[in-house]
Amino acid sequence: MKRLLLIVAAFVFALGQASAGRAQTLAGLVTSAEEGAMEGVLVSAQAAGSPITVTVVSDEHGRFRFPDGRLAPGHYALRIRAVGYELGGPKSVELGTAATDIALELRKTADLAAQLTNTEWFMSMPGSPEQKRPLIECMSCHTFERIVRSTYDAEAFFPVLKRMAQYANNTTQARVQSRLAEREVHDDLVRKLAAYLATVNLSAGTTWPYKLQTLPRPKGRATHVVITEYDLPRKTIAPHDVRTDAQGDVWYSNFVENFLGELDPKTGAHQEYAIPVQKPGSPTGALDLEADGDGNLWLAMMFQTGVAKFDVKTKTFQMFPVQAALDNNAAQQSMVMPRAWQVDGKVWSNEVAKQSILRLDLKTGAYELIDPFKFLPKGRQHAPYGMAADWENNLYFMDFADENIGRIDAKTGVATIYPTPTPKSRPRRIMLDDQGRLWFTEFAANKLGLFDTKRESFTEWDVPTPHTYPYDVFMDKNGELWSGGMASDRVLRFDPQSGRAIEYLLPRPTNIRRVFVDNSTNPVTFWAGNNHGAEILRVEPLD
Amino acid sequence: MTFNRVWPRVTLIAAVMFAVPTASRAGGVGFGEDDANSGDDGPSYFGFVREVDGPGVADAKVTAALKDRGALVTRTDILGVYKIPGFGKDINPDDVIISCAKDGYTEANVLRRPRDNGDTKDPIEVECYLKRK
Repeated sequence: MKRLLLIVAAFVFALGQASAGRAQTLAGLVTSAEEGAMEGVLVSAQAAGSPITVTVVSDEHGRFRFPDGRLAPGHYALRIRAVGYELGGPKSVELGTAATDIALELRKTADLAAQLTNTEWFMSMPGSPEQKRPLIECMSCHTFERIVRSTYDAEAFFPVLKRMAQYANNTTQARVQSRLAEREVHDDLVRKLAAYLATVNLSAGTTWPYKLQTLPRPKGRATHVVITEYDLPRKTIAPHDVRTDAQGDVWYSNFVENFLGELDPKTGAHQEYAIPVQKPGSPTGALDLEADGDGNLWLAMMFQTGVAKFDVKTKTFQMFPVQAALDNNAAQQSMVMPRAWQVDGKVWSNEVAKQSILRLDLKTGAYELIDPFKFLPKGRQHAPYGMAADWENNLYFMDFADENIGRIDAKTGVATIYPTPTPKSRPRRIMLDDQGRLWFTEFAANKLGLFDTKRESFTEWDVPTPHTYPYDVFMDKNGELWSGGMASDRVLRFDPQSGRAIEYLLPRPTNIRRVFVDNSTNPVTFWAGNNHGAEILRVEPLD
Repeated sequence: MTFNRVWPRVTLIAAVMFAVPTASRAGGVGFGEDDANSGDDGPSYFGFVREVDGPGVADAKVTAALKDRGALVTRTDILGVYKIPGFGKDINPDDVIISCAKDGYTEANVLRRPRDNGDTKDPIEVECYLKRK
């Protein structure tokens, strides 16, 4: 019996070896003169003409290895990410049918500033938290490199900031869109910010008057990952919310153009569905992308106003613009929540300009305006943002401008407001799990949060890296939280039970908004868009 | 007044002093704190949730409700202290109903302390008593 087992084991091993021999494996060693073998270096390979880039991370011995069979034969461009270093060579590799082993040599970069994340600029720049806080708004449109490399003094900054304040929220460097309705900006606050920015840029010299701080490279489990980037066909595409469907296809909202995007992650094939323009001349693009119980997709149409339903079978849109009484140049719907519309025929949305909730009656197409803050002090800023509906279609929403979670009873319309334990938290996006737990981010407080809807109680966790400013969070089937944001170029995997955190560094500057976890794979798969980089991102943990 | 009665009030005052009123900020693009105090604030509500003739109750739910209009909900801290930021100044404090709850308890009594003067922004102290089921 023992002998039979040995024979079977030997056969299985031989099969594995043969299989590995056929696969197009790329492996290698990363070294530098300064460190020798280097752990935590991201090594990326992109085949010529392909929109797909695959990235792995070197281990504690400096070794890296792409998964067997992941790279087809061909010519690959190579790049690396390791702060402080650049790739000396080789910068490309030819893969055939045999396994290939290469040695990558890194050298110190002469331009460290070009490699810093927003988080690292936050760490580096002198100034008080109050001075730095307004900068978290800048990340919506561009990285801090644009600021710190500028040579404006305070006086020159003033009109620049005033001009930028009139850009639509859905603006990127690749596609700037102006608001039709002027936004009120207080000059004294602009002057204060302009004066601060002039102390951290190059207005006084050719180098920065402070030391550039960097975060450590990934170590240990943070190197056990495969990251796949799918380049989208136009640089202007700004994927905001990303999710997969039951077939494993990826769908995304385009923040700055009126298209819904679809990606086949197996082939990289990409398709777009044009969303009818409702308000010519208004900024285009959609933000929130949600699925209803039938698997159809809903989009919040921002300055195009209202919401759109996409029938995934007929591939057609049904538009629900806001009625004339609610429409004006400032009208903006950033969120949509169709999850439980079958309960009462109602879909939730928001009206950013009126700091209110909207409820769409699907039969009549009319929106009802609900002000959940009407009994609170006037003059305080509120912004209903991330939304989730329970199975009775009661709404939970984040008050992104302030520090509250709100609930609106579907039957009575009565609002209950729950201030977060941390003041000025600015809760942002949200996920409701099957146990009635709301997982959310506290964007300004640098925390992840849990609101137990049954107990009506909060739990908060600091994210491990300061100045991460998490945008969104997703609870996976294993009870782990996944989060990302616009600052750190990292995906956070966090176990709220143990407090253990893993941060996966991403291969490129990555502006993450909505995050999504596909629980149908094992291990789970993380998805997000790079809002400023025209790419879809997949993170596959190896454990 | 005995020490045992003074101490909780001193603790309460200290706890509320450190519960700094929060400032909100503009949504969308904001260039800093621009509305720390709106001037429209009504009184806040604060106090202990305690067991009848007993200690403060931590992690108790406290609701400040406006009948059929809405509510603010918070929970007590480890000492049993709560603070609710309050409604707008157009809300009559007499219309605000404070209640408390926690699993294993029923609400026994709610005691609203009379305010010393006529300043409508003075915080209102409301103690809520729970008894074990």
